[in-house]
This record gives sequence, structure tokens and C-alpha cells, in this order.
Amino acid sequence: MNIDPITTEIIRNALISAANEMNASLMRSAYSPVIYEAKDYSVALFNEKAELLGQAAGLPLFLGNLEEAVKVTTAKYGLDGYQEGDVYILNDSYLTGTHLGDLTILSPVFFRGTLVGFTATRAHWMDVGAKDPVLPVDSTEIFQEGLRLGPTRVFARGEPVEDVVDIILRNSRLPQTSLGDMNAQIAACRTGERRFQSALERFGVEGVNAAVEAIFEQSERLDREAMARIPDGEYFATGCLDNDGQSDESVWTQVRVLVADDRMTIDLTGSSPQVRGSVNCGYAQTISACRVAFKMLVTPEAPVTGGSFRGLHVVVPEGSIYAAREPAACQFYFTPLGLLIDLVVQALSPAIPDQVTAAHYGDSMMLYLIGRNWFHLDAHMGGWGASATADGESALINATNGDLRNFPVELMEHKFPIEFRRYGLIPDSGGPGKHRGGLGTIREIELRDDGAVLSLWFERWKTPAWGLFGGKAGARPQVMLHVPGEPEKTLLKVSQRPCPRASVTSARSGGGGGYGPAVQRDPQWVREDLIDGYVTCEGALRDYGVVFEPGGFQVDCDATGRQRSERINGKTVPM
Amino acid sequence: MKRFVVGVDIGGTFTDVVALDRESGQVQVSKVPSTPRDLSAGVLAALGGVVPSLSDASFFVHGTTVGLNAFLERRGARVALITTVGFRDVYELGRGNRSDMYNLHYHKPRRLVRRRDVFEVHERIRHDGSVTQPLDLDRLDRIMDQIEAGGYDSVAVSLLHAYANPEHELEIERGLRRRFPNLAISVSHEAAREWREYERTSTVVMNAYIAPVIESYLASLEEGLSAQGMTELVHIMQSNGGVMTARAAKRRAVHTIMSGPVGGAIGGAALMRQLDHPNLLCVDMGGTSFDMSLIVGGTPELRTQVELQELPLLVSMVGIHTIGAGGGSIAWLEAGSLRVGPISAGAQPGPACYPRGGIEPTVTDANLFLGRIDPHYFLGGHMVLDPEASRAALRRVAAPLGLSETELAEGICRIVNANMAGGIWEITIGKGIDPRDFYLVAFGGGGPMHAAFIAEELGMSTVVVPHHPGAFSAWGMLHSDIRHDLVNPFYRLMEKTSAADISRGFAELEAEGAGVLTAEQVPAEQMSFIRTADMRYVGQEHVLQIPMPPEINALGLAQMPAAFHEAHHRRHGHSNPKERVEFVNLRLAAMGQLPKPQASRYKRTHERAPVPVATRAVIFGGSPVETPIYLRKELQMRDGFVGPAIIEEEGCTTVVPPGWQGWLDDYTNIFLRRTEREAEERTR
Repeated sequence: MNIDPITTEIIRNALISAANEMNASLMRSAYSPVIYEAKDYSVALFNEKAELLGQAAGLPLFLGNLEEAVKVTTAKYGLDGYQEGDVYILNDSYLTGTHLGDLTILSPVFFRGTLVGFTATRAHWMDVGAKDPVLPVDSTEIFQEGLRLGPTRVFARGEPVEDVVDIILRNSRLPQTSLGDMNAQIAACRTGERRFQSALERFGVEGVNAAVEAIFEQSERLDREAMARIPDGEYFATGCLDNDGQSDESVWTQVRVLVADDRMTIDLTGSSPQVRGSVNCGYAQTISACRVAFKMLVTPEAPVTGGSFRGLHVVVPEGSIYAAREPAACQFYFTPLGLLIDLVVQALSPAIPDQVTAAHYGDSMMLYLIGRNWFHLDAHMGGWGASATADGESALINATNGDLRNFPVELMEHKFPIEFRRYGLIPDSGGPGKHRGGLGTIREIELRDDGAVLSLWFERWKTPAWGLFGGKAGARPQVMLHVPGEPEKTLLKVSQRPCPRASVTSARSGGGGGYGPAVQRDPQWVREDLIDGYVTCEGALRDYGVVFEPGGFQVDCDATGRQRSERINGKTVPM
Repeated sequence: MKRFVVGVDIGGTFTDVVALDRESGQVQVSKVPSTPRDLSAGVLAALGGVVPSLSDASFFVHGTTVGLNAFLERRGARVALITTVGFRDVYELGRGNRSDMYNLHYHKPRRLVRRRDVFEVHERIRHDGSVTQPLDLDRLDRIMDQIEAGGYDSVAVSLLHAYANPEHELEIERGLRRRFPNLAISVSHEAAREWREYERTSTVVMNAYIAPVIESYLASLEEGLSAQGMTELVHIMQSNGGVMTARAAKRRAVHTIMSGPVGGAIGGAALMRQLDHPNLLCVDMGGTSFDMSLIVGGTPELRTQVELQELPLLVSMVGIHTIGAGGGSIAWLEAGSLRVGPISAGAQPGPACYPRGGIEPTVTDANLFLGRIDPHYFLGGHMVLDPEASRAALRRVAAPLGLSETELAEGICRIVNANMAGGIWEITIGKGIDPRDFYLVAFGGGGPMHAAFIAEELGMSTVVVPHHPGAFSAWGMLHSDIRHDLVNPFYRLMEKTSAADISRGFAELEAEGAGVLTAEQVPAEQMSFIRTADMRYVGQEHVLQIPMPPEINALGLAQMPAAFHEAHHRRHGHSNPKERVEFVNLRLAAMGQLPKPQASRYKRTHERAPVPVATRAVIFGGSPVETPIYLRKELQMRDGFVGPAIIEEEGCTTVVPPGWQGWLDDYTNIFLRRTEREAEERTR
């Protein structure tokens, strides 16, 4: 069937709008703060072939990651097995790619009695019955990480399958919250279904299908046009995680990017085999992460459809951390993915120096405080990398988390027996460069209750945010724990460490990398940074070779000139 | 009783005045260019046309974009911010989210205060209001020295948990006032008495940023008006759709930020009383954007938090939803396919048919090409349009798509209509509201041209184009009341709350509200209070605002959870009666009733059927149809016409497509409705 460009455009906008509506529906009625605050969810519409029609992601990492879930569900039940009003649920890490806390809920869409597609949502539930409340930071196999569901019918013809619902709720420490989130996800599926059906009503199944074909072609063409602008070549980058939380051994990621004409291959061959700790990831989510990096660099504006990424080929070695097999633990699947995204950007930096940025601080930097009848989890914001045109932004959430918002101090002090002493930027933490990296943050919390335990997951100490083209790395992350009567300890990862009342944690996130040599930074910019307290007087001298008149904000031009010329000539100057 | 009530809408481009003569019942309208350097000059000029002497005005209300523009153009005051020690960076950190998440180069919105202008004072209050560290007055003195040396013109104070205990903020305010009697001073618990330190800080900073601008603007306006004999209080429109006196506005500057844009919604609320229909969807299609607002059950939808350029504000605001679709929206090609908007040609260069050098085809070009706009009567004839330029621009885009100019022009309109209908879908059906229960009220330059088509898309039966659609906001302002929205943080489990707690919470708010209204010279018998409470399931973040009765007893409280479950189900499609419900805030709208002008019904002066001034070929469904053109000023109440037809007035064109009919009601609003035959065909 031929379709005119006008109807195609109307249908295209209707599908985008349908996904946005599902998104709003889920956001507004979810129970778990991790969904509505941290936006740990995604929604999408598919045709019956599991090709993406429209999507909205709360987390960038969830970009186009639901199609696998639809495919494996169809593989199990068959297209004939779906009934109107059915709802399916699954969370198996090796099928969906993420950790067990992420529950995918999908529903077949029927139009005049015929299966025409699916609506699907994924959202992070607060507790799915792992060995520790919320989530374990030291799991070594998936069986410690909670209830594991393959594709499972949870509603049949509009009625809940009570036995299945019962199993799911009995396996959660927070059954009412889980039920609320499940209902919110189902409501979002219904919202998308209604909008999808209205488009079919108006344009007919054939009309919509014809438009969808045209829309896919548009997406593919946009991708290919953008890729053709990247110089052909083979590009490399390598980096490591500090460890897997179990040993002290680095966990490696190797990236090779091949650009040929209007195609791109991202090859992860050479990356570490799956490890005992939980930094393993399912294949489906690795694909999503590569798509995120691709999108950030190639087509950030274009809506994602079933025609996107046709020119992107991803090679992942089976049995590596990026395509883990049972029984690999997958709780922190996102930690290697944050590094992977940074490394793809780094690899392509010689090819497209104006589009890339230096590395960002890199991971979610999780702090968990678990009391007798409360728990608090928190991600930390840090610095982002500088670019050819601008300083990096300070205090933003990491790449895999996107629109996640930090929790207000006032809210947390209300809810939990903790008190904040300090929350702010760390001077001198941005990577020095002609353009400076963004600053990391410090957050100091005093515990005002007995019987709590602390878990930490801080990463990227060995690989702090690197600079580009002569720019330097940002500051490293670090957590200080002060327990009354004990010497202060420096920590990065720890599981369930008992903390008595009046213990103080002081968590520092890293800064972003700099871009270009720091000695090329305009001394007046360094002066502005000094006035605003982004750098200290000592930092200005150490990192930028800029000297200020004693006790003021005036640049000492002569001394600065001497400092800088000697640094450029390779000598160090006594300070 | 004095003779006139006057409403003024001071926009970026035009200043509109609507004056109602209470003796004759006549409404007079005047439109003059705004005078950005001294806005009051434009106001006085516009007034001169309709009100002989300001000493005859009994009520004067105006809406203004002066605060909004100061913010948008970053021309506000130099602000110093005082925070709790350890929390200097609350404002700069924000919430740390990246709303544009695939953008590697994302930057936070440009702040109104730099880090160098933030000062930490030693003090600490806990969440329960207890003081753990008293205010360090010596330290405060040193901060004041720095403020003096720094030459600031406004100071904002935002301390942790000040909503729970404002004592330290008040003490700082007293200190600042003693030392700097002429500085604008804003404190967070007054700007927004709600928790969440970043949002509250952002609100108080905005208040501090625009307060000096608003203050000097109001001073000059009041001076100008009183020089012309005005003796009554000057009122200003607030973002919440109510008004306040100029004196109150000087302290509550942030509440004027959307003073101008909310006028349309308020016009809708006033129109609702004339139309006697409780549900209206008001749409304003301008050059670059399409603004939608809802009147549900007779009241405009209010929000309690909004964002401007990603900066949050905890103030009540009439909900205005905007999408990028307007007369200037450009039709363009991407990957070989057609797109319309959101990029806009704006006013410069404007559509291709404007004599300003634009070459890209826009929605306005499509309408001109289709014959829906008269090239000689655009903006009442203030600008002559060039149809050939439109045709050439359309041809350039149509050719690669294999379309004719006509197909493209109609296609552009179909796409932009579908986009606008999609926007309406999201704020109605997406929230469990059926748009078919609504009248579509269209105003602004482009709204009445597209309204019937948008209504078709959504299955809405009735379109209303109000009288004076170009001065609709100013007209609406005449019908508003004084309103102040107050909040009392009230965070507790419903099952652990007593009716007495709630009564006490509201009594505090009522005392505060009565105080504010008294200061605005509202007599006690004209005060009224609307009570609501923010509630949610334990663990949820988003709240629902639930109406509360004036008196609450144990029985009433026992029925609250059921009311919440029901509201949740209505809003979100599901509820959980087993889950516990908690209160978050008590809210009170303190209203001061103002006298309303009585709209007079018109009378027919003759019984002739309406006569078109001309006919013109207009394209509908691919072919030209000879279409009668009416001038609105020549139409009278109960005149009827059948589509296709076009009604022209200064600055606005109403299109009645085939299959639609129209008439003027007793107040001379234009009604459009699908003809019976069409309606039947659709339902079949």
C-alpha cells in the first residue's frame, strides 16, 4: 500500500505522543521513588513483529531494550497464545539484560480481534526478595539477587492470575509497593494501547503499517547520513573497573569501533570474561548501552524507531561480562556499561574531536543505609567532561542514569534518622584543561539511630574521568567513614558494615576530565573560577600555572608567564 | 458608583484595554503598541481612547509580562543569597538531573545567582523545627558588610527547614531591614512555605531577582495613573488567576511571573459563565506556540509547581500547556520526509508571504495559499501579504515529495491540526478527561482558523470564538477575584491525624489569609476560603489535591481515605484501598470577592439575514469552493451561516469548514457546530 507523506507524518507524531503518554502515566502513579524520582523505567510500543513504533526512556540506558523481552515472550507463548487482556511479566537478567529488580511488563494489543502489537514497560521495583534488603552489593550468583521470572502470564483475558500475583508479592519485602508499581505499569500499557488503537481506527491497519515502514526508512536514513559524516577508520579505547566487589582485580573493557561508509561496528572482543562479583551484564543491555553511545555521538535528536540502529553492528564475546551466562551475578550490570559508553566516546575522539567530551565521573556511586525499619539509598552526582567549546558541567548524574534527580535533604531528614552536615561542590576536583572538567560533590551524613548498616558501591578510582587532547583527569571518588572512637576509614565498596549512632559518612564523587592543555586556559577564566571558588589559589598554581597577587584576585601576569613557559618547556618549577 | 471598570493586558507587542461602561453596559476595546521603555506610557495611551477620565474608574486590573521578560532576558536585580552553613551550593547543585539525556554536552539552566554571591550563615534547624545551632549574629554582621561592599540590590534568604520554623529567616530579615532599609529582601518561607530546599531556594531567588523590577514598574505606573486622576487601588493579575493589589505585589513579586499569559485561561473562566457550560478547553494559537488551558467544572486547572527554563517555582499557577505549533511553524524536509514545526519563522523573517525576506513555507503561507486568509486584511490590513511568495515557498518543498502545492498546503494544515489535537489528547484523554465534554474556545491570531478542524480530530462538537478574541485576556481580568494561595506543611499519616489537628492547621492558614486580605482592604463579608489537602499513598512522591470541607469532624476524616482512593482511580486508572494514605500539605486559597461587571445581552437591530461582503475561492478537500466572507462587526446576535464560510475581524479570521454551521449567541460569541448530517455520518 502506498501512503502519502502527510499521513505518515501524522501517524509518526501520534506514535511518539502515545509513548510520551505511557511515560506520563507510569511516572505519575508509580509507588517506588526509584521510578518517579530516579526515573528508573522505560516504556515502548511495538508492532506484532516486535519492531519498535515509539518509545520513551526514563533512563538512557533503557534505550530500545524492551524488544528482546517481547521476542522471548512470543518465543515462549507463540503469537497464537496471546489473548486480549493478557499481561506478561519477566525479569530474568540473561533474557532482559538488566538486574532482577527491573520488572518488564508487557501486554498484547488487539484491534478488531487481531493481534496488532504490544505495549511494554520496564521499571525498577524497590525489593524483589534478594538476600539483603533492597539489593545485595556482594552477590556472586544470580540466585542471591531475588525472585527470577521468565516470561510469565500475570493477567489472563483481563483477570489477574492470582497464584502468580501471590508468588510475586510473597517474594518482596515491600509487597504493597510492588503491587502499586505493577498496577502503574499495567495502567501505562493500557494508556499506550488506547492511543495505538485510535490510530488504527482512523488510518486502518494497512495504513498504519505502510506509514510505519516509511518511518523506519526515515530513521535508518537519518542514522546513515550521520554516520557517513564520520571519517572511516578503526578506533580503539581500553579501560578498567576497579574490581568486581569480590577481589581486587581490575575488570577490563576493550572497545574497537570500526567506521566504514555509513556503517559502524562496536566490537568488545578482549573484554574480561564474566567475573564472580556482580558487574556482569546480559547481552540485551550491552546492545542498549552501545546504542546510547551511538545516539549521543551520531543522532541525539532523532526519535528512536524500529528503523534506528540498522547500520550499527555490535560484537560481544559470549561468556564475557557483556554477555553473561547463568549463574553470573548481575546486580551492578550498569557499572561496566557506564565505562563502555565513555570508552566509545574516547575511541571516536580523534575522528570527531568537536562532538566528543572528555570522560565523566562514571558510575552511580551508590550509598545504602539500612536501618531496622528503614532504608535509604542514594546515587551521587559528579563532574562531566569538558569539550572543544565549553567547560564540563558540575554535579550532574551519571550517563547511565539520565534524568535521575537527587533526593532533597529536607525530605530525607524527615523520612530517615540521618542528618546532613554538608552538601556541596569540591573545589579543584574538575580535571584541569583549556576547558575545565565539571566539579564533583561532597555529601556528609550523620547517622542518628542505632543498629544500621552501611553498604557502598563507589567505582572508577583506578580509571577516574580522563581528559582529552592534553586535558587532565578529574578527581577520584572516595568515601570517609568516621565511627565514634575509631580512626577514620577510607572506603569505596563495602557490604553491610555495622554503623553505630553518630557515625559520619563523607562521600566524594569524582570530577569530569579536562579538554586541551591546562596551560592554555585563559588566566582570566582561572581568575573567575577562583572568585567563584571552583578552584583554589593553590590549585590555580598547581594545575594551571596561574599566579595571583597576594591576598587578592589579580592575576600576576609576569609570574604566570614564567610558570607557564617553563611548564611548556618541560621543567617543573619549585612552588 | 463610578462609571468604568478597566482591564489592561500589557503584552510584549501590544497593550490591550477593555473598559466596561456600567451605565450603558457597553464594552470598549483599544489596542496600542506596547512601550517597553516606559510601559505606563502605552497603558495611558490605550486608556485615553476608551476612558474619558481615570477619576471615573472604580476598578483597575492589569496583567503584565514585565517580570517574565526581566527573567527571560536576564535583566533582573543583582541578588545576594544567604544559606545555612554547609549548604552554599543547594542552588547550583539543583537536582542534578539531565533532562536532555542523550546530550553529551548538556548544561544546567543559567542561574540567577552566581556562586560568588552566596553567603553561608552559621545556624541549623531540624525537620521538626527544633534549633540545633542558634543563629550566629556576628557572622551575619560580617555577611552584611560583604553585601554592602558588593553593591547588591536585592537579598534572598533560604535556610534549611525554614518552612518548619521560620524564626532564623525572620531574624535575618529584621537585621537586613535595619541596616538596608531600601534593599528588596525575600525570605524563603514566605516565598514558598514548602519543603524541598532546592525548589524553595529557586523560588525565593526568582522573587528577589524580579522584585526590584516589579516594584519600580508599579511605582511608575501608579504615579502615572494617579496623575490622570485615578484614586482607586491598582490591581495586578497573578499566575494563579486571581488578582492582588500593587502593594501586595511588591512583596510577592514571584506570583506575577505569568501575570500576562494566564489571562486567556481567566477569560475562559469568565466566558464559562456566559456560555453556561462548565468545561472549556481554551486554545491560543500564536506565531510560534499553541497554548492550551482547561476549565473543568467551572474552575481553571491549577498547578502547585512549575518550571521556567528548567528552574522550578513553588507557586500556584494556572496550568498552561504549550507545544511548538503556530502560524510561523515551518514545513521542512528531513530524511526525505515532511515535518511541520516545531521550528518557527517567528516574526523575523516570518512566513514567506511577509515582506521580510522569509523563504520557508509556514502554516500561515499554507492558509494564505488555500484562500483562508485575505492578503489585504491581515492584522486588520496593517500588513499586505504576498500570495506568490507563499506559492513559491510551498513549491520548493512540494516538488521533492511529489505533491502539488495544494496537496502540500492542505497537508501542512492537517499535520499541524493533528499535532495540536495530539497536545490536547495528552492533557485530556491522557488524564482521564473526555474532550467531548468540552467546548473548544479559540482565540489569538490563528486559533479560530484551525479550531473546527482540531475539534473534528477529537470528536468535539462545539467551537466558540469569543467576542473580541484579540483582547480576550484583558476582558477576562475584569472578572477575577483577589486570591492568595497559602500552604501549611502537614506531613503525617492520615490514620494518625485527628480532626482537631486539621482544623488547627486550617485555622492558622485562615488567620494568615484574612490578614493578607485585610491589608488589601477587603471587607470581612467579601472574604471566602477554599480548603484543599495534598495527599498520597505512603511512599508515593506525586500528590493529589483533594477538596476539604470548611469544618471537619471525626466522621468526615474517616471518609477521607475513600475520597482519595476514588480520586486516585479517576486520575490514574487504579487505586489501592489497602494502602495507607498520608497528608503532605494543607492548602488554602484566600479569596477576596470583587464586584463583577454584568455582561449585557445584545439586541437585534434588524431582522435581515447576514450579508457577505464578498466571496472568494477557498480550497477545502483539494478543490476551490466559492466561499462567502462576512465581517464580524456587521454580524449581530442570532445571525446564522452555513459552512463553508469565513468571518473576518481585525487580527483574527474564523474558518467555518464545509459540514459546519455557525451563529452568534446573545453575547455575540461565535458558535460553530457540525451540521446534523455530518454528525450522523460520523457516528455511523
